[in-house]
Amino acid sequence: MTATEIALAASVALMLLGAIGATFVKDVTRLVLSLGLFLLGVAAAFLSLASALLAVSQIFVYVGGVLVLVLFALMMVRRGGTEAPRVESRHDIAAAATALGVFLILMLVPGPIEGVTLGEVAVDPGTVADALLGPDLVAFELTGVLLLVALLAVIVIVKGAKDS
Amino acid sequence: MTLAIGCAAIFALGLYGVLTRRDLIAIVVSAELMIGAANVQLVALALSRGADGAFVSSFALLVIVAMAAETAVGLAIIVSAWRRGKREQIDDFREVTG
Repeated sequence: MTATEIALAASVALMLLGAIGATFVKDVTRLVLSLGLFLLGVAAAFLSLASALLAVSQIFVYVGGVLVLVLFALMMVRRGGTEAPRVESRHDIAAAATALGVFLILMLVPGPIEGVTLGEVAVDPGTVADALLGPDLVAFELTGVLLLVALLAVIVIVKGAKDS
Repeated sequence: MTLAIGCAAIFALGLYGVLTRRDLIAIVVSAELMIGAANVQLVALALSRGADGAFVSSFALLVIVAMAAETAVGLAIIVSAWRRGKREQIDDFREVTG
């Protein structure tokens, strides 16, 4: 087993641990911590897949941005009573069967992931920048428009709620 | 192979969370699991099939940004729903019940 494979396995373990926590814990604080663990695992997986730029972006956007956003949302949505906030779930066999079915489909359809090694596919951030400002410029600009629309949507939604 | 199994399992866990969680924020968190797993799977699969690393990275970067925007709007809707009617559970939304 190479160092890359060990790093990839460790990052997958981190992701799985966070995902299990985020799916099953009832305590809100632990839920957010589990999400943070999962997001760090994703960043580690990107790093293992030789894309340091993606790993850094993941940490900046998700761990630094989205996680804080979730925390703010939790603080704003006041939970009832003086007891510790709990997250309710309604576990049922149909949901479990659906999830299991999707898991099996995902295992069968895309095929195996082989040959991903750190040295061979290392992605230079400079080439990514060239791609974003070259062939992928339209997608890059559209993402900027999407972010602007999302920002305006958030303002309109929250302001509407405040007015009412 | 470890990555493929892990990503598929995480996607399934996220789906299970979306279907079973009652709390709106927990549903958003479960959706994040699905998105994260899909993005990692996408990058790994594309790189293993010999796709251009720069193209894969820029595509994954755009997915990260788009999903962050989606999460921001989703959380804004949750905060808005709380402010309008103190609703934070999915069962509180009866307007769209068929």
